[in-house]
Amino acid sequence: MRTFGLLLTLLSTAGAARAQAYLDCHFAPGWEQSGEVRQYAAGNLYDYKDGAAEGYLIFGFAQMRGITCKSGAETLDIDVSEMSDADSAYGIFTANLDPSLPIAKLGMGGQVQRQSAGFAKGGYYVEMVVTGVNPDCDRSAMLNAFAARMLEHIEGSDSPPEALEWFSKENLLSVRLVPESVLGLRQLKRGYVAKYKQGQAFLVIEASPESAAEVLKSLRERFDGALPAQVGDEAFQVKAPYLDGICIFRKGRYLGGYANLPGPQEAAFLAAKLAAQIP
Amino acid sequence: MDSKTSRREFLSAGLMVPVVGASSGLGFFSPSGDSASGPAGSPVKLNYKTLGRTGLKVTTVGFGCMITSDPSVIERAADIGINYFDTARGYQHGNNERMVGAALGARRKQVVIATKSGSQTKDALLSDLDTSLRELDTDYIDIWHLHGKGSPADIRDDMIEAQQLAKKQGRIRFAGVSTHAGQQQLLPWLAGKGVFDVVLTAYNFSMDASMEQAIATAAKAGMGVVAMKVMAGGYRRVRPDDPLYKKLQQPGAMLAALKWVIDKPNVATTIPSMTDMDQLDENLKAMAHPFSAGDEKLLAAHLDRIRPLYCRMCGRCDGACQRGLPVADMLRWLTYADGYGQFALAREKFLQLPPELAAVRCGDCAECTVKCLHGVQVSNRMARAQALFA
Repeated sequence: MRTFGLLLTLLSTAGAARAQAYLDCHFAPGWEQSGEVRQYAAGNLYDYKDGAAEGYLIFGFAQMRGITCKSGAETLDIDVSEMSDADSAYGIFTANLDPSLPIAKLGMGGQVQRQSAGFAKGGYYVEMVVTGVNPDCDRSAMLNAFAARMLEHIEGSDSPPEALEWFSKENLLSVRLVPESVLGLRQLKRGYVAKYKQGQAFLVIEASPESAAEVLKSLRERFDGALPAQVGDEAFQVKAPYLDGICIFRKGRYLGGYANLPGPQEAAFLAAKLAAQIP
Repeated sequence: MDSKTSRREFLSAGLMVPVVGASSGLGFFSPSGDSASGPAGSPVKLNYKTLGRTGLKVTTVGFGCMITSDPSVIERAADIGINYFDTARGYQHGNNERMVGAALGARRKQVVIATKSGSQTKDALLSDLDTSLRELDTDYIDIWHLHGKGSPADIRDDMIEAQQLAKKQGRIRFAGVSTHAGQQQLLPWLAGKGVFDVVLTAYNFSMDASMEQAIATAAKAGMGVVAMKVMAGGYRRVRPDDPLYKKLQQPGAMLAALKWVIDKPNVATTIPSMTDMDQLDENLKAMAHPFSAGDEKLLAAHLDRIRPLYCRMCGRCDGACQRGLPVADMLRWLTYADGYGQFALAREKFLQLPPELAAVRCGDCAECTVKCLHGVQVSNRMARAQALFA
């Protein structure tokens, strides 16, 4: 038991030491660390993020480590949030990105703006903010340099979730992970939502085909007038308030579909295309 | 505080036609019949109170939009008649304001929109306001809060100037402050300043009478009081694999907690977070049924369950330990380990204690001098922290 405790302590300490490696103000010349490394867990993230902490917790936030770097009058705050898994890290990144800007190849995905940057890699979500500069000042080169060095030290996947590739790119505005209640429906617990110029597509991954079938059944019961649709393994289509024309299908353990289209037929047509992409 | 009740009915036969601009007229609303079918439901009862000197009549259940992902939930809430919606410039890096603006655009005149800025200077605040107006797709904000202030020192004159200027320009209607901490000091100060119309404050059943007094002071000065965090932080912070989860997830507790706040005469509205239609339906029930003896029992039992474990960070135990231990900090570290599985972080914090404090063992004291007003079993919890981390 004592050996186990010692091992646990050593592993914990090693984890903490490794975690520090990606936080270094010397990743770009002229920057020095100001103050201690800040650390927050789910229980005290409010102290740092105030009410916005909810936006982290809903994505399975585990802990955050951050540093403040100074260079002359400029301040660079870097915060690295450890999320429950890579999907959640990518999810919080997509929740916070600017949909009008492209996603850059930084880890699984990132965005670098004039005075801020954010990216996800593995289970980590990184935020960088420059303050103390003229609002017009472009510090994106420095932020890119920092991000590149940090990426060398952050473990985890560089590839965005595979499921994102299944959404059609035509007229696509944004894709994000909705951490709970996709389309505002509690049965669709967590999944990806792709917004288009018209309508939105979604994809939810259930644990098994059986549980996916159960969810589809409960959804069908929820919608009056739902009609069967020939999509995936089973599907229904309906016109409903707020979600307009909607089609929801199951293919294996995946639940997917389209909503907010003029009619259910249009939704079923596009849902069939999405279903065809799922292996 | 002025309070009145009305019934809004929503035409909901089968697949309902959305009611746009539902602030007028009567109809029937089926609680289970959002975008879906369901049995014909009972009419939803909406209660209103006046939001202090703003004169705005707001539903006692408002809508905290911060973690809402799908605009359909907001749209439906507005169609039902919920008329108070809260967001902030910082939520989801502005994406939340954009979503709220898109959801409420056609209903703008029927609703009260509150947003916030956490910027620290007059110029930055006004720049944020420009962005908020653009993202919310509106030419005025009803209530514009200085975001997340914990003490009078956090609110500088130039911040107040920004609010006053925006008000004069008609870009905001009312000025507010949001706060999660330090209310006992902050609220009386805000009341005395006379320049803030609204305060958005954490307020829930676990708080003591001094909080009620602080809120009463603000309300008496004419400020509209909006309550948030009505569940004492007991839900989203705790994950299903957490040992506290079952203790905190009690059926009916959320609704009872919401009703507890609504029942308070000095609170005009509340802003529970809602992510789906079912949560919306559940929260609507808080307006239909008054806070009852049954609710009181449920909350008392709930409080009893969390009391021995849940440190409310009230600070009353500061300096109370005869051996000099930072009690509240140590309880928080224990929560990191016990509640959130963050053993390494908790131990790291513990090891930062001066050696003489890290060496203290609570079992060595004949009697503990720290008596938690809220019932946390301090000596037991501290002993556990020492056993785990030392």
